[in-house]
Amino acid sequence: MRAVSSGPLAGARPSSRHVRRIATAVTAVVGVAALSACGANEQTPSGASQSDAAPGGTLNILTDSASNPFDPAKSSGLAITSLALVHRRLTSWHIAEGQAAKVVPDLATDTGKATDDGKTWTFTLKDGLKYSDGTPIVTADIKWGVERSYAAAFSSGLSYHKPLLVGGADYKGPFDGKELDSIETPDTKTIVFHLVRSYGDWTWLASTPAFAPVPKGKGAEPTYGEHPVASGPYQVAEYQKGVKVRLTRNPNWDKKTDEVRKGLPDEVDFQLSQDTTTVSQRLVADSGADQSAFGASFVSPAQLAQLQSDSSAKQRLVTSKSGALAYLALNTKKGPLANVKVRQAFQYAVDKSAFQVASAGSAQLAGEVATTLITPGITGREQYDQYQTKPTGDPDKAKQLLADAGFPNGIDNLDFVVGKTNSGPDKAQALQASLAKAGIKVNIRTLDSDTYDSEVTGNDAKYDLVLGSWQPDFPSANGNIQPLFGTTEIGNGGYNISRYSNPDVDSLIEKAESTVDPTEAGKIWAQADKKIMQDSPVVPLIYTRNSFLHGSKVTGFSIADFPSYPNYLVLGVNK
Amino acid sequence: MSPARSVPSAILRMLRTDRWALGGVVAIVLLGVVAAAANLLTAIEGQDPFTYHNEALDHATGRPAGTLGGVSGAHWFGVEPLTGRDVFAIVAFGARTSFLIGLAATLVSVVLGVLLGASAGYLGGWYDRAVVWTADVFLGFPYLVFMIALGAVVPASVPRPLLLVVVIGFFGWPSIARIVRSQTLTLKKRNFVSAARALGAGPWHVFRVELLPNLWAPIIIVATLSIPGKIGLEAALSFLGVGMPPPTPSWGRSISGAIDWVRTDPMLLIFPGLALFLATWGFNVFGDGLRDALDPRTEVRR
Repeated sequence: MRAVSSGPLAGARPSSRHVRRIATAVTAVVGVAALSACGANEQTPSGASQSDAAPGGTLNILTDSASNPFDPAKSSGLAITSLALVHRRLTSWHIAEGQAAKVVPDLATDTGKATDDGKTWTFTLKDGLKYSDGTPIVTADIKWGVERSYAAAFSSGLSYHKPLLVGGADYKGPFDGKELDSIETPDTKTIVFHLVRSYGDWTWLASTPAFAPVPKGKGAEPTYGEHPVASGPYQVAEYQKGVKVRLTRNPNWDKKTDEVRKGLPDEVDFQLSQDTTTVSQRLVADSGADQSAFGASFVSPAQLAQLQSDSSAKQRLVTSKSGALAYLALNTKKGPLANVKVRQAFQYAVDKSAFQVASAGSAQLAGEVATTLITPGITGREQYDQYQTKPTGDPDKAKQLLADAGFPNGIDNLDFVVGKTNSGPDKAQALQASLAKAGIKVNIRTLDSDTYDSEVTGNDAKYDLVLGSWQPDFPSANGNIQPLFGTTEIGNGGYNISRYSNPDVDSLIEKAESTVDPTEAGKIWAQADKKIMQDSPVVPLIYTRNSFLHGSKVTGFSIADFPSYPNYLVLGVNK
Repeated sequence: MSPARSVPSAILRMLRTDRWALGGVVAIVLLGVVAAAANLLTAIEGQDPFTYHNEALDHATGRPAGTLGGVSGAHWFGVEPLTGRDVFAIVAFGARTSFLIGLAATLVSVVLGVLLGASAGYLGGWYDRAVVWTADVFLGFPYLVFMIALGAVVPASVPRPLLLVVVIGFFGWPSIARIVRSQTLTLKKRNFVSAARALGAGPWHVFRVELLPNLWAPIIIVATLSIPGKIGLEAALSFLGVGMPPPTPSWGRSISGAIDWVRTDPMLLIFPGLALFLATWGFNVFGDGLRDALDPRTEVRR
């Protein structure tokens, strides 16, 4: 979804929220048994993709999205995908296979100093940092960048920081001359954030796109993302919406100050608006410039089935071990779905195994059946299943629950919104068929990813059901729970697409967020997870594996344990 | 009135002499029976087009288990990859979708086209010019783009089959109207029409009693020849994702889905593709044969 979707996105479309990625599907290629045999992930350094290429060459990124603006305020990109090629942030991520993701300094000299019990955070910039235009990067620009993310016109990016900064709730952005006083810049190197409450994950939030510098006073125009001032190894040389984006080297980026970006290729070209099936076929064929290309979207199930008999392409297929939670969101504010008994019926009606097959051809390829909201590998996650049933679902039990709720004849005409990308419609049909067995008739409405986003995150929710997918924006259970179930995330671009609001859950979220010890916080998150599932605002489907294809000359292509996307920052191109 | 030239007898004679037209009729009848008896046939097979059969799939890849896309006694045309839905049931119920939409849309076109064409030809004057001009505009109209746009904006509460019938049917009237109008122009100068008018018959009476019987032959020919286009149009719209919504089977949507699988599971494309080919080919050669048998230039009933 894209959807939906932006999954594909993550990389290529920093502006889309992860939900969309989800919506669409994700496919995994390799089963547990097959992992060791063919998962490129698991390859030892013998593969060409493991040793770094010499600097130089052009890396091509093939994406189905029509635009890929590099506007930090509007972006929900991960710290390791396309936006990070152009923009540095205060902190970044160190990710590697088999290791938990670690927060590391980027523009800052360290990952931030917390004082006042986690309510005040101080960062200091490294020496000698410059923009692509040669001017020095100062903390006032970081402040401006964060302030800019509050302006209504630029508010579509990750927004975890917005309610946390003192005064943030009422702040409308810097373009009418008002500053956000809770961000102090005592000198050009130091920046201090004052938060409304203790917040242990602030060091992770400093790696989100809004903490990239925007030269003070710039970025008032909506097209800033097409010609931004760069701090990373690349700058935008050419931007043609729907066609291509060309990134060339930023001569003022100093590799010595940057521990996360390798900056190997001389040029990075995004080919926009590509058909995902065609992209897979081109990458399988592996000829010409496509040898130094990779697909930002997931490999489709049909392509996966085909790849099983193509040993060369199979070598170049990389699959994550886990990934986004795919889920069916139930609009808790609408019609019969406002009744918790009806929503619980959905837990039994859904055939998760059919969903797995529709996603990627088999349970092993698609990812495990999900029963919790917190995804595997996140601190504090507890495995539980409040609605135990067969993986194929239990239509009779669902009918019984519906009858108890006053719908003995089932429910008709539910509006089911799904994103077009990543075989979203096929997955939606699998759900439609299983719901029909329980007497729930749904009409699928397929939307392209931009429309999908505005439909599901808008204020006026007309839909009943949405196929969603969510991967945390940073590796904390916070990122699993708060964006999807916090009352503040309903509408206005928020991803609480089931429009779920429960004061008990809100207070648990707040309690967990202000708990600085990660283990203690994890316990509270697990409690919130179970509490939410009692109200059944969503049906967890699977923990989706993602598969990507790359050309034979691309080096460094791998997926760490988190996130389930390749690290764009370390890719190189062999001659 | 020569009995040998009546429409049914001309058809019979054509079938005896024109093997291509006979083949077309066989194809149409075959698919028509499948469409009409889809429930019965799939009941005999023991399948339906909606049920997922994961057990019929290869557990490693989601492809149909077995050869030729999983063709077997239980699944006559095999199963869909990733879902295990029965392809025969999808093709059979898809025939029902195609025939119903194709024929109903043709009916809409014929009714509109005959009424507008005959009235324009008979009444003449500014009304005639307006109809001709409108028909020309619609003939040159980029209707596919229009239908795609319409499919995207019309709310889901409007039944999709009705929308398809109305839209596809509406864009078919100009070609029929033009032919009917030109026939009417020649007919209204004929003595029997003049006689009826002289006796005080009104336009509706003249249309019903004098014109219509002589218009049937061209109407049947042009209608038959336009059916394959309409079936193809429904398939095209479904192929593009703005036609019949899932899960209602539709050949166009099946073909669209099969394209991704053509290398690993070509049968998935072949069965609905063949059915679509047969239907359009059948109506085309049948219409051609009809035209030869009922050449309207030599035919006047009185």
